[in-house]
Amino acid sequence: MMKKMKKLAVIILAVIMVGTLMACGGSGDSSGNTPGETSGNDNSADVPATENVGSDENKEIVLWHVGTEEMDLAIWGKAIDAFNATTDSGYTISSVSIQNDTYKEKLVIAMSSGECPDVYTSWSGGPMNEYIDSGYAQPITELFNNSELPDRLLDAAIEQSKYKDDVYAVPMMSISISGIYYNTEIFEEYNLEVPKTISELEAVCDTLVEKQITPFALANAPKWTGSMYFMNLAARYGGLEPFQEAVAGTGTFEDECFIKAGETIQKWVDKGYFPEGVNSLNEDDGQARQLLYQETAAMTLAGSWYSGLMKQDSEEFAAKMDWFPFPAEDGSLVDSSILIGTVGDCFISFNCTDEKLEAAFEFATKFSEEEVVDFMVELGKIPPVKGVENKLTDETTKVIMEAVNNASSIQLWYDQYLPPSVASVHLETCQEIFGLTKTPQEAAKEFQAAMEEYNAEKEE
Amino acid sequence: MGEKHQRETNIAAFIFLLPVAILMIVYIFYPIIDTFVTSFYKWNGISADKISIGFKNWIKLAADENFWAAFINNIKIMILSICIQIPIGLALATLIDFGGKKTTIFKVLWFIPLLMSSVAIGFLFNYALATNGGIISTISNLFGGGNIDLLGNPGTALYTVIGVIAWQFTPFYIVYSLAAYTNISVDVFEAARIDGATKGQYFWKIALPLLTPSLKSAAILSMVGSLKYFDLIYVMTGGGPGRATELMGTYMYKLSFSQFNMGYGSAVSGGMFILISAISLITMKVLNGKKEAE
Amino acid sequence: MNQITKNRTKSRVSWVVAIVLALLWTVIAILPFVFMVLNSFKEKFEMLTKGVFALPDALYLDNYKAVLSGNFVSFFLNSVIVLVISLVVLLFIAACASYPLARFKFKLANPVLSLIVACMSIPIHITLIPVFKMSKAWGLYDSIWALIGPYVAMAIPVSVFILTSFMREIPREIEESAFIDGCSRYQIFFKMILPLSKPGLSTLAIYNGVNIWNEFSFAYTLTQSAENRTLPLAVWEFQGQYSMNTPMIMATLTLTVLPMIILFIFAQDKLVKGMTAGAVKG
Repeated sequence: MMKKMKKLAVIILAVIMVGTLMACGGSGDSSGNTPGETSGNDNSADVPATENVGSDENKEIVLWHVGTEEMDLAIWGKAIDAFNATTDSGYTISSVSIQNDTYKEKLVIAMSSGECPDVYTSWSGGPMNEYIDSGYAQPITELFNNSELPDRLLDAAIEQSKYKDDVYAVPMMSISISGIYYNTEIFEEYNLEVPKTISELEAVCDTLVEKQITPFALANAPKWTGSMYFMNLAARYGGLEPFQEAVAGTGTFEDECFIKAGETIQKWVDKGYFPEGVNSLNEDDGQARQLLYQETAAMTLAGSWYSGLMKQDSEEFAAKMDWFPFPAEDGSLVDSSILIGTVGDCFISFNCTDEKLEAAFEFATKFSEEEVVDFMVELGKIPPVKGVENKLTDETTKVIMEAVNNASSIQLWYDQYLPPSVASVHLETCQEIFGLTKTPQEAAKEFQAAMEEYNAEKEE
Repeated sequence: MGEKHQRETNIAAFIFLLPVAILMIVYIFYPIIDTFVTSFYKWNGISADKISIGFKNWIKLAADENFWAAFINNIKIMILSICIQIPIGLALATLIDFGGKKTTIFKVLWFIPLLMSSVAIGFLFNYALATNGGIISTISNLFGGGNIDLLGNPGTALYTVIGVIAWQFTPFYIVYSLAAYTNISVDVFEAARIDGATKGQYFWKIALPLLTPSLKSAAILSMVGSLKYFDLIYVMTGGGPGRATELMGTYMYKLSFSQFNMGYGSAVSGGMFILISAISLITMKVLNGKKEAE
Repeated sequence: MNQITKNRTKSRVSWVVAIVLALLWTVIAILPFVFMVLNSFKEKFEMLTKGVFALPDALYLDNYKAVLSGNFVSFFLNSVIVLVISLVVLLFIAACASYPLARFKFKLANPVLSLIVACMSIPIHITLIPVFKMSKAWGLYDSIWALIGPYVAMAIPVSVFILTSFMREIPREIEESAFIDGCSRYQIFFKMILPLSKPGLSTLAIYNGVNIWNEFSFAYTLTQSAENRTLPLAVWEFQGQYSMNTPMIMATLTLTVLPMIILFIFAQDKLVKGMTAGAVKG
């Protein structure tokens, strides 16, 4: 009847559409590329093997990464092209870019079904170690030491790529450390000076509050943004030992410096240093940046990727912003050059062996070659290579790089460094500290308990 | 004769049910069994290392505060959703039904919330309900109150999201009720009118009782949906602040995919499945009890 | 006499109240949608400075241009194909399954229905990995065909549940008289039950249609290359590691919703026809 006829018509229509789609499938892709995409990208699942005519093996290296935006795609593309063009190995790279949020899940699914890509990126720390322990990342210590990389890359970056004394990844992309961006115009207007100590910082904040400006733009719904304040404060109060000992199981997260960090945060919340409803603001939706751009907030403690971000949003506004490292605790002997952040942000790990591994490694070395490094700097990144500061042109970036070079050590973000189950407890309790629904003591206790549980299970 | 008829009936039933059965076995039963099997292991989801640990995950689950707190959240969503979405859905559907052709435009407009993806809804409502500058705060400021923090406040976050969920799903119950109305023969309506019944009397004494079976099914649908719920919570609050809006679904997802604890995550899934099935089957029995006796 | 006037006034008052409530609800229902569309016409920085609720300065069309010149059209086609095929298959086999459960008397009827209801309780994420493995094994991975199986399967429990309850409402007399006239069950099914279930089927078409159109989890798990992605994944193109181009995303989402709205306008038409045709009179 009518319904059946309609269904039939629909099916026929569908078949026609499928036929049309398949027919123009071949030529359709190239017209559909977004600007900035280069050849090595998404649509190349069937990139043919190149030079090695006699080979019947699939000489394709599958690469997964999280660069979905124009800028990042261009960077990946450049290195991939460089590799594909100059390599003697007979291999080619075919890459897939996956959106950040869902990347980790997709990787887990792929690994658990035995479909892990040959080469993939991670943020190092806990998750990378998990991949290594599960057998999805090969040690590359030998290849690494025999290459030019130890000379090209920053030592700190190399350290971060290690696990139990072996090198498991090649760091690249951008150094990202946390520091405070501030609106120079607002500072000028109210005669504020860049604070060197925490109490000076608080004085600046108090003035801002008086003038009805929120000192810190913070969107803490995703939890990791607020964690920055916690980490920096803890580092300034106690250095890095308490943290490292707590993780190793010889110390504890109930150490003084952590409690004090929590107390300071709550003090600041009470004084109005953070926007109202801070735990409901969404970072990705730009709610923190909105406060900055509307100039209802004057500063923000963020990773140095913010420079590139703000530039993309509005060059004009970005020019108003400058940067200073998180100030030291008054009269404290703690090393205040310590920075919280990552020396690389993207770590390439390898899930292949022998020939393929060598070829893939060769690809990874492209990112520290002059041409690619220059390209990345142009786009606002700070590749973790020695001497990069000489290439930097942006003033703010130079200041950041200076701090990096002066840093005695750089601690990776807690939520990357810690095993995920402990990291999530930290993030949740930190958010509750901001929300004043937990005391720093309670939060520390839970944090410590989670760490102990993890360590206990690891023993089993 | 009776037996032959019964056999024919059975064969016919079998044939009609076959396609569904095949798909369900492949895509549903197999994964469920897989999940239960996985729950007996300690497994991080990716390594080849799977250690059998018997019922340990289940024992952990039974004592897991976070899980039960999440369960309570689900129950809250369930109760409030049924109480809000179905009555409003029915009321609005009644309006359209009584109003005839001229109210059709409403049907289209009212349905739009259901057509939008959770990503869009989450984003828009995050801004709409923002503490500084959002709609609620603006209204409150007009009346002299201060800003109201809905999503960042553990006490109100869950109820706020329930409101948004209601916004999204009530249209479904409008359409569902409308379809249910079509089952009421026009004759019945005519007869009532001739007898002089007002629209009000028609509704309460005639239509409503006839609609009751459909409404019961609607309640079960809503119940199961609420207990399984994932989307908007994940997008709008991620389970926070803290764990205030954590649901069984989001808890399971985080364990399995972010925390490298798929063994335990599978136990959570299994637990969810058992709980939800039990609740819905019992409810069905209770609601349809009288009918079975007929 | 007085009673009738009283009734008329009561009736008028209730109408006014009803219309007011209806309008109120309409505003609530479409306001977010309106803002979504408004924001799609803004430029990224503009949205960040002026906020979500301000009117756009000008109709900034670049977002739409960028979206449409990207892979949008191919995502769109993929979504359409998946939707159409899944819906057709789903509606047919759900109807097939609901008929015996609603009508036949056989021993397993209730257990089977209970089983299906129980299957409504499955959170779909737990089926992700097994389905992923299966898709790989059958060579379907990274194609839109891999999506149809899961979409139909996951929608079956709810669909059968809804349809069964609808079919139960169809008067027995119709069936009985057809039996007496010598029709087989199959004929009854195709010639009578299916047509009479139109409202139920339309409801299902709408409900499942929307779910499939907006479905994300399976789509991102089972596809990889851009040419096989469906619309919900289109939003990726405008999300980077650290930033989101929100107005572009709004443009994408608006374009995604529009087809559904148009489709709904046509589909609900059928619903109305089903209502007023007095179909039950058969």
